[in-house]
Amino acid sequence: MNNFSFYKDGKALYCLILSGILLSFSSSFARNSVQQFKSTFQQHQIQGTISDGSDPMPGVTISIKSKTNSSTISDYNGQYKLSTFPNDTLVISYIGFKTLIVPINGRQIVDVKLIYDTTALQEVRINAGYYSVKESERTGNIARITSKDIETQPVTNVLATMQGRMAGVNIIQNTGVPGGGFDIKIRGQNSIRAEGNAPLYLIDGVPYASETIGYNQTATIYPTTTSPLNSINPDSIESIEVLKDADATAIYGSRGANGVVLITTKKGKAGKTTFRVNASTGTGTVGKFMKLMDTSQYLAMRNQAFQNDGIPFNSWDYDVNGTWDQNRYTNWQKELIGGTSSISDLQASISGGSERTQFLISSSYHTESTVFPGDFIYKKGGSQINLNHRSEDNKFNLTFSAGYNLQNNDQPAFDFTFDSRSLPPNAPKLYTSQGDLNWENGTWDNPLRNLNAKFESSTNDLVANSVLSYELISGLTIKGSFGYTSLNTTETRTAPSSLFNPIYNITSANSSLYLNNTGRSSWTIEPQINWEKQIGLGKLEILFGSTFQSQTTSRLFQIGTGYSSNSLIYNLGSANYIKVLFNDETLYKYQAFFGRINYNFNQRYIINLTGRRDGSSRFGSGNQFANFAAIGAAWLISNENFIKNSSWLSFAKIRSSYGTTGNDQIGDYQFLNTYSNTSGKYDGTIGLEPTRLYNANFGWETSKKLEVALELGFFKDRLFTTASWYQNRSSNQLVGVPLPGTTGFTVLQSNLDATIQNRGLELTLRANNFSRENFTWSTNLNLTFARNKLLSFPGLESSTYNQQYRIGQPLNIEILYQYKGINPQTGIYEFEDINKDGKITFPEDRQKTADLTPKYYGGIQNQLRYKRWNLDFLFQFVKQKNHIYPMGFAGQMSNQPKVKMDSWQVPTDIAEYQIYTTGYNSDVVTAEYLYNRSDASITDASYIRLKNISLSYQLPLNLNAIQCKITLQSQNTLTFTKYKDGDPEFTSAGYLPPLRVITAGVQLTF
Amino acid sequence: MKTSYFNGKQFILIAVLQLLINSCDSFVEVDLPKSQLNNVSVFEDYATANAALTDVYSKIRDKGMLTGIDTGLSNELGNYTDEIIPFGTPSNSSFNFYNTNLLADNPEITEYWNATYNQIYALNAVIEGLEASTILSEKNKTQLLGEALFVRGLLHFYLVNIFGDIPYIKITDYNKNKIVSRLPTALVYQNIVSDLESSISLLPYNYSSSERIRPSKNVANAFLSRVYLYMKSYVEASNSASSIINQSELFELEQNTDKVFLLNSKETIWQLQSSEPGQNTLEAITFIFESGPPLMLALNTNLVQSFSTTDLRKSSWIKTISDGTSTWYHAYKYKEQNFTSVSKEYSIILRLAEQYLIRAEARAHQGDLIGAKEDLNTIRRRAGLEDSSATTQLEILDAILQERRWELFTEHGHRFFDLKRFNKIDSVISAIKPGWNTNDALLPIPQNEISTNPNLRPQNPGY
Repeated sequence: MNNFSFYKDGKALYCLILSGILLSFSSSFARNSVQQFKSTFQQHQIQGTISDGSDPMPGVTISIKSKTNSSTISDYNGQYKLSTFPNDTLVISYIGFKTLIVPINGRQIVDVKLIYDTTALQEVRINAGYYSVKESERTGNIARITSKDIETQPVTNVLATMQGRMAGVNIIQNTGVPGGGFDIKIRGQNSIRAEGNAPLYLIDGVPYASETIGYNQTATIYPTTTSPLNSINPDSIESIEVLKDADATAIYGSRGANGVVLITTKKGKAGKTTFRVNASTGTGTVGKFMKLMDTSQYLAMRNQAFQNDGIPFNSWDYDVNGTWDQNRYTNWQKELIGGTSSISDLQASISGGSERTQFLISSSYHTESTVFPGDFIYKKGGSQINLNHRSEDNKFNLTFSAGYNLQNNDQPAFDFTFDSRSLPPNAPKLYTSQGDLNWENGTWDNPLRNLNAKFESSTNDLVANSVLSYELISGLTIKGSFGYTSLNTTETRTAPSSLFNPIYNITSANSSLYLNNTGRSSWTIEPQINWEKQIGLGKLEILFGSTFQSQTTSRLFQIGTGYSSNSLIYNLGSANYIKVLFNDETLYKYQAFFGRINYNFNQRYIINLTGRRDGSSRFGSGNQFANFAAIGAAWLISNENFIKNSSWLSFAKIRSSYGTTGNDQIGDYQFLNTYSNTSGKYDGTIGLEPTRLYNANFGWETSKKLEVALELGFFKDRLFTTASWYQNRSSNQLVGVPLPGTTGFTVLQSNLDATIQNRGLELTLRANNFSRENFTWSTNLNLTFARNKLLSFPGLESSTYNQQYRIGQPLNIEILYQYKGINPQTGIYEFEDINKDGKITFPEDRQKTADLTPKYYGGIQNQLRYKRWNLDFLFQFVKQKNHIYPMGFAGQMSNQPKVKMDSWQVPTDIAEYQIYTTGYNSDVVTAEYLYNRSDASITDASYIRLKNISLSYQLPLNLNAIQCKITLQSQNTLTFTKYKDGDPEFTSAGYLPPLRVITAGVQLTF
Repeated sequence: MKTSYFNGKQFILIAVLQLLINSCDSFVEVDLPKSQLNNVSVFEDYATANAALTDVYSKIRDKGMLTGIDTGLSNELGNYTDEIIPFGTPSNSSFNFYNTNLLADNPEITEYWNATYNQIYALNAVIEGLEASTILSEKNKTQLLGEALFVRGLLHFYLVNIFGDIPYIKITDYNKNKIVSRLPTALVYQNIVSDLESSISLLPYNYSSSERIRPSKNVANAFLSRVYLYMKSYVEASNSASSIINQSELFELEQNTDKVFLLNSKETIWQLQSSEPGQNTLEAITFIFESGPPLMLALNTNLVQSFSTTDLRKSSWIKTISDGTSTWYHAYKYKEQNFTSVSKEYSIILRLAEQYLIRAEARAHQGDLIGAKEDLNTIRRRAGLEDSSATTQLEILDAILQERRWELFTEHGHRFFDLKRFNKIDSVISAIKPGWNTNDALLPIPQNEISTNPNLRPQNPGY
C-alpha cells in the first residue's frame, strides 16, 4: 500500500486505531493499574522523532504500556514529548505499520523508526453500524472507501464517490445537470418495485431517508425528482462502508434487504491544532455527442421522404418548403449542450485537541455553472462540527457531530439535450439582430424560450448526532445514541408567458409558478448495552439495543397563475389564482430491538449471531412486526499452527453467512382506505377523490441471503485477494401490482408470491506492486459478476406482469419483437411473425427477450508515488446492453443520426434502415414503432471509462510548519465504447450525460 | 467474578429496558394523515359526499375524453375526421390522429381509457358509499345517487362509441374489475339506458345549483334521447327529445348565434363549470389563435368551405386569421380564452339544438318527414338559412347529417360518431385520407389493458 499518503490522509484513522488499542487493552489495564502505581518513582520527560526511515511521520500514537492516561501523538515533524517514568515501556502504533514496543530504559531521547506492515491493514476496525469489527475478524461482507479515495475525485454527490470502487455496488448517474440523482443497486435488483431497491443510509448512525423530496412539476430538468442525498457533503466524509450480506445487514432487519450504506464523518484528532485549506477550480463539458446529419444530408432525407410518400410539401413543412434558409447549418448539440461549466471549490478545516478532547470544524463551498446556454449556477456550502470527549477515568465517552449543508440551485426548467438532437439542422437562428429571441415569424419553437422557464431550489439540511457511552464495570458498557435530522427544501419552476410563441398572444395573465415546499425531520433514539468478556481462549461479545424513530414529512405543492407582469412571477401573492395542488403531512414511525452475540475462539473460530425485531407504521394492524436474524461464521485458517509460519501465505480466512432481512419501502399509509383532497374545484367545492385501491393486508418483503467467501493474503499481505459468492432470494414481493385501467387505478399495493434471486461473484484484489522509499505502486481491482433471475411467480401467465417478466429470466429484461430485416421490395422493416397469422400482433409476436442487467462490472485503481508526486487513477468498466436512442421515424421534421443516411430507396437496395416517410406512410410509422420495441433496438452499451485521475505534487517548501500540495484531478476523463448514441451511462434517454470534469487545486496545511 | 456483572444497577437498567419494550407496541400506530379522510366518514356528511361527486365533474372537465384541452375528443376526433388539421412539430400528438396512425400504446387513447375508468371508479365508490351510509338524509342521497348514475351512463356511452365492446363497470371491487370481459355493444347500451332511467327517477326536476352545472331530471332525459337515437330506438328518442323541447320556459334556442355558448344561454342543458371564478373554457384556449401560422391546429378548410356563405354559424362560430398571403380558420364558438372578471362561458356538454336534430332524425326514420323537416328547419332558420329542399327520407337524413356537421363541429366528436352511425365513415374519410381503412372506425384498446387483462383480448381488428 502507498505508505506516503498515510502521512496526510491517514490522520483520520487515528481515533479508529486508538480506540482499537484501547478496547483491546482496556481489561488488562484495569487489572494491572494498582501494581503499576506501586512501582512509581520520579517523573521523566522524554522526546524523540518518529520516522519511517526516510520521512518524519506525523500522527503516530505513542502511549505507555499499561497506562491508559498517558499517550501522545507525533506532530507534523514526527516529533513528540511525553512524561513517563524511566522504566516505562512505550507502545508506538500507526495504521499500516507494525506496532513497536520500546522500553525507555532511562533514555531521554527515544527516536523510533516504524516498519511498514502490510498485514496491519487487517487490524483496521471496520464500522459495522452498531458495532465495529477488526478487518481480519469480520464475518460479514463489508466494502469500504475512505476519504483518501474521496479526496481524489472532483464530485459533489456521495454516490459518485463510490462509483466503480466497490464490488457488488452498481451506480448509474442519471443526468449531468448539477443537483441530479444517481441510481444505486447493491447486489442487484431485489424488489420488483423500481423504487423499492434503495439501500438504507446512515450518517454517523442516524438513518437518513433517501426518499425523494422533489415534485415532478418543479424539478422538470431532471429525469427523476430531487434526491435528498445531494445534501451530503463528500468532503466531510471519513469513510463509507457498504454492508452487503446477511451477517452485516440482518441487524438492520426490515431495512437491510437492499444493503446498508454507513457514512462516517471526519473526526478531530489530538495533537497540534491543524489548519487545512483546499481550493480548486476547473471545468465540466459533455464528453460525447451523437453523430447527427448536417443540413444537406438532412434536407436530402426530407426531400426523399416527400418523394417516397408522393405528396407535395405542406404549408407547415418550413424546413423544406423554402420558408427557412436551406443553406443554414447549426450544430445544435454544440449550441445547446456544448458549453463549458466552470467549477470552483473551497474547503477549510481546523482540527486538534488534547488526548481526551478533540474537535474538528470544517466548511466548504462549491459552485458549478452550466453547459447549457444562459447563466445558471449550482451552489453548495456547509459546515461540519465534531467533538469527542473521554472522561479522566476512561469510562465515559461522548461524541457529538453535526453537519449543516445548504444548496442553492438555479437551472433552466428543461434539459436541452432532447432539442439538441432533434432540431432540424437548418432551423432558424436563435436571436434576431436586435438580440431578441428569434421566432422566425412564428414558424418554430425557439429552443431558448426554455431559458425563460427556470427551476430554482434551495435546500438546507441538518444531521446531528450524539453518542454517550459509559462503562459500568469492566467489559459492560451502556450507550445511547441520539440523532436528529431536519431538511427543508423549496423548489420553484416558472412557466412565464414568454415561454410561448408570440403568435399565441399569451400574456402574463397565463404565466404560472409551481412551488414545492417539502420538509422532513426525524429523531432517533437508540439505547444499547455492550458486554464483552474473555472466557478462556475465547472472547464473547454481546450487544443488545433498541431503536425508536419517528419521521415527519410535510409537503405543500402550489401553483400560482395569472400575473400582471412576468417580473412578479416569484411572488405568489401577486398571482391572480393560487391553487394548492397537494398538501400533506405524513408520519412514519419505526421501532426495533436488536442484538448480537459474537464468540471468537482463540482468534481462529468466530461465530456471529445477529437478530432484530422490527415494527413499522407502514403496515396495517397485525402486519406491523416481523423478526429477522442471521448467523455468520469465520475460520481464520492462517492462525492455525499448521499454517502459521508459511513463508508465502500470510492470511487465510473462510467465512460464510446466512440470514433474513426485509424491506418496508412502500410509502406511508398505503394500507388505509381513504379519500384525499384534490385540486379540482366544482360548484364551490374542493373535490375529494379515492386515494388508492386499498389493501389492508400487505406485509414485509423478506430477503434470504447466503454468502460464502474466501480471503487470502500472500507475501505478508502484499497481495491480498477476496472472493465472495452470494445468493439473495427476495420473496413476498411488496409491489404496486399493475392493474388494468378498468379497476379505476393502474396499480395496487400488495404482496406478490414471487421470488427473485440475485447471485453473484465478487472479486477484489489488492497488490502492493512496488514499495520503496522513493517509489510505491499499488493496484486495487474489483470485479463483480452478477445474475438476476425471476425464480418463481405463480400465476405469472394470468397476472398483470405477463408481458413484463419471464420466469427464469432477469427482472431487467425487455420483451421484444424479433427483427428480421428490411423487405427488399417495400423497404420496410419486417419482424418475425411467430404465430404465423400473417400480421405482427401483440403480445403473440412479441416474445424475444433481451437482458439489460450488466453482465459484469468493476474498477481498477492504481496508486503511484514517486518522491513527492502522487498519481491515482481509476478505470471503471461495465459490460451491458442498452437501448439505442429513439429518434422516431426518419423523414419527419426532426434530425436523425448520420447512420440513417443508409436508408432503403429503391427495390433491391440493401440498407441498414428502412425507407423515409414524412409520417404519411403508416406502414413505415408502425414498423418504426415495432423496430424500437424489437431486438434491433438493443445494442452493446459496454464501456471502459477512465473514471478518475488525480495527480498531486507536494511542494518542497522546507518549512516545518507548512505543507503545500498541488493537485490536478479529472472525472469521466475518457470513455471507450462501441455505443453510438452518445454516452452509454444513462437510465432514461434524452438527458444530459455525466460531464467530463477537470480541476486544478492547491492544498495548504499548517 | 461473574455475579458482580449483574449487580442491582444493571438489573434496574434491564428492567427499565424491558418495560420500554413492552410499552411500545403501540408506538408504530399512526393517525390518519391530515390530508386524508376515512372512506366511511366521507359519506356521513353531505359536504364531503358532495365533494366526492363534484370531483368527478372537475376531472371530466380537466382530463380524459370530454376535456377541452387539446388531448380531448373535441380536438383529436376533429383531427381524425374532417374538422381539424394539426400544425407544428411531430411532438403534436394530433398528427397521429390526423394521419390515422393510431397505435395501441398511444398516450391519448390510454388516457381516455384510464382517466374514464378512474372517473367511473369514483362514481361507483360514491354509489356504494351512499348506499352504505345511514346518516345522510334520503333527499341528499337520491340526488347524489341520481347524478352518479347519470354520469356513469354518460361515460360508458363515449367509451363504447370509440372503443366498441367495453366492460361496463358498476362496482369498485378490483378483484373482479381486473378480470372483466368486454360486453357486446348492445348490452353496454342496455346498461346505459338502465343507469339513465334510474337516474331520471332519482334526480330532482330543477337544477340543484343556480348555473346549469349539476345534472337534473331533464339533463338525464336529454342525454337519454341521444342514447336512444344511437340505439335506433326512434320512438323513444323522439319522445325524450320532445320532453325537453316542450319545456320552453326552461329551454329555448338562442336566436343570436353569437350568444349560444354564453354562460346563461337558455339553450344550454348541461355545462361544466370552470375551475376558477373568472376562468373561461379550455376549448377557447385550445382552438383560438390570433396570428398565423397556427402552432397546433386550425379548422380544416374542407369544413369551412362546406358552409353556405350566408350561414350565420360560419361568421359567428368560425374566425378567419390571415397573414396577408395565407389564411387559416379557428373554431370560435367559445370566444373568451383569458380570465375575465366573472366567467362568461362554460364548456357545454348538452344543448337544445342537438335535441331538435335528434328528433328530426328520429322522426325521419319513423317516416314523419314533415315533422323531421320542421325540426331541421328550426335549426336552419336560426342559422339564417332558408328551409331545406330535401324531400325524400334519404335526402332528409342526408340533410340532417350535413346539418349536424355545421351545428355540432368541435363538440366532443359528434362528427365521428355521426359518420359511423350513418355508415358513411369509410366513404367520407377515405376520400380525403388515403390512409383510412375500415378498421379505423374503432380506436385500439390500450396496450396495457391487453397486457394486464387477457379477458380483454383480442385487440380491436387492425391494431
